[in-house]
Amino acid sequence: MSWLRRVAAYFPTVVLARRNLSRATARSLLAIAAVVIGVVAIGTIGMGGEAFKQDQMEAFEGFGGTATVYPVYHHDGSGSINGDFSRQNINRMRQVTDGTTVLPIVERWDTLVQTPTGEVIITAQVKGLDNPGSFYDAQSGTIPDNWKRSAIVGSRIAENNDIQPGDRITVSVNGSFTRKFSVAAVLEPQGFADQLRADRTVFVPLDEFDDPEYDSAIVRVDPTTTSVDAATESIESEFNTRERNVYVQKVQEQREGFEKTFETINQFLIGVGSISLLVAAVTIANTMLMSAIEREREIGVMRAVGYPKRAVVSLLVAESSILGIIGSMVGVPLALGIGMVLNQVLLGDPLAFTAAGLRYVAIGAVFGIGTSLLAGVYPAWKAAKKQPVEALD
Amino acid sequence: MAPDISAPAETDQPGADREEDRQSPRDAGNDVIIRGESVVKEYQTGAQTVQALKGIDFSIQPSDFVAIVGPSGSGKSTLLNLLGLLDVPTRGTVRLRGTDVSTFSDGDRTTKRKHTIGFVFQSFYLIPTLTALENVEMPRMLDRTPKKTRERAKQLLRRVGLGDRLDHYPDELSGGQKQRVAIARSLINDPAILLADEPTGNLDRETGDDILELFDELRAEENVAVVTVTHDAYVAEEADRVVNLVDGEITDADEAESNGVVEQ
Repeated sequence: MSWLRRVAAYFPTVVLARRNLSRATARSLLAIAAVVIGVVAIGTIGMGGEAFKQDQMEAFEGFGGTATVYPVYHHDGSGSINGDFSRQNINRMRQVTDGTTVLPIVERWDTLVQTPTGEVIITAQVKGLDNPGSFYDAQSGTIPDNWKRSAIVGSRIAENNDIQPGDRITVSVNGSFTRKFSVAAVLEPQGFADQLRADRTVFVPLDEFDDPEYDSAIVRVDPTTTSVDAATESIESEFNTRERNVYVQKVQEQREGFEKTFETINQFLIGVGSISLLVAAVTIANTMLMSAIEREREIGVMRAVGYPKRAVVSLLVAESSILGIIGSMVGVPLALGIGMVLNQVLLGDPLAFTAAGLRYVAIGAVFGIGTSLLAGVYPAWKAAKKQPVEALD
Repeated sequence: MAPDISAPAETDQPGADREEDRQSPRDAGNDVIIRGESVVKEYQTGAQTVQALKGIDFSIQPSDFVAIVGPSGSGKSTLLNLLGLLDVPTRGTVRLRGTDVSTFSDGDRTTKRKHTIGFVFQSFYLIPTLTALENVEMPRMLDRTPKKTRERAKQLLRRVGLGDRLDHYPDELSGGQKQRVAIARSLINDPAILLADEPTGNLDRETGDDILELFDELRAEENVAVVTVTHDAYVAEEADRVVNLVDGEITDADEAESNGVVEQ
């Protein structure tokens, strides 16, 4: 201990500050508790928000290099609206994007899907697609390479209506066909990021539609080697010459939009959490003011025996900073503990901390110390400003 | 009558200050530590101006023992505050070794106070969280010379007879012991003047006598001038000179005793 004393002798302000805090233990502990709450609030909300975002963003995995091209509908002057993609349009897209996968989609709304027992599945959408295997993996059954005359069912539809591979479902498309299909495969759940909303869709081969007009086209590149931007730009410059004929929506943009939304929500929540640190600052300012008033004469004596004003300010600011430092030292492990619970619940791994999440804990700690320091400045200045003769009277 | 102030070897700083201040021509000859001329101190209370001191003269020399007596509100504390550089006069001049204190900034006054003046209070004002030793060290704690300060503090506590109470906290000490700690604290910077505000006011007669004895020893051994404000007649009796303040003026009642100190 003696070496500690020797070291402490070189930091007299800190020694005096610590001793002063120990004078009103309960008051100091309450002020520390206020800081702890603030640090935990900011750290936990920030980390929890990041974990939640990560959980939601997992839905975008695998869709990075994908964009959907939609036609823009124009009034052609004769009373009908024109715009669906023709087979030629799709071929032009394939040509200008140079080997990129372009999958035409037929999406019909005037459809009816019935289960093997004849129940109508109201929520099911029917889409015509050529090669679902290039997009999706099967949860059960297999997606045939050369796909003809069978149906592939999305996970939600299959689950809600107890449809298994091998079952026979009836699909009617108004004006095109009514036919029984054997279910070849049920797809893996895709989540909300999937542009085709496969979970709620029954896919049938494009060939089922005679001379179809396509409602959209999926453009897909390998995101590890190419950017989808080049492909979509080629399509846009090819088609949008005199007027806008196509409209491109990239999954990446959607993802970025989501990310921004999450960020905004998180910042708002952290703002709410910061209010607790503001309350902590008020508590500390109050603690320090009371302490300064109680010790008015003592501070007067210090000034009388030659302590300059700045020494008195340093002493009181050191006291409030110590409250902040201890508060943060307790708050950080607590926040990390709660963060581990959140990680476990949302991501399935207690140690799945992200840099962004940990940053919020650090921000909480820094703000905890910073606000405590600032909260001490006014009481300190007030105490130092007092003339020793007034304090001693 | 006015021997030189012998600064202990380790207190270079205060010694240097004194050396430099002594250059002042006015007081160079007679070694006056602090001198006041026509000192007026006024306070503003609401719309009224109260004159606490009405143009008094005073001077303090090494080894003096001056007692300031007078009824409450007579200006005793005001005079002590002026002597202690805790306050500046409204009119007139107070010179510390020849330099007008009104030319000092607040920071200068703090520094001069630290190196020239020791304070002893009626209520001791020890810091309850510090031991006797640390309380004595307190005025020099920020000097970053912990070893030197500690040695000097131990020496002073032994000097006031508390060598066996170094690690006691104030609440473990008697009133007399606390006052001794406070006196040791006031001496840590080797001051030229010790200002004592009712130093025996909270002590019984016997303990009070001990403190007065200690003052005598300090004057004899360290050439410290002691200026005390007191209500106790017996403290005044012990003093070389008595300044009798009534309504902010020095009365002539004790002129015989106040010779030299109060320059009319």
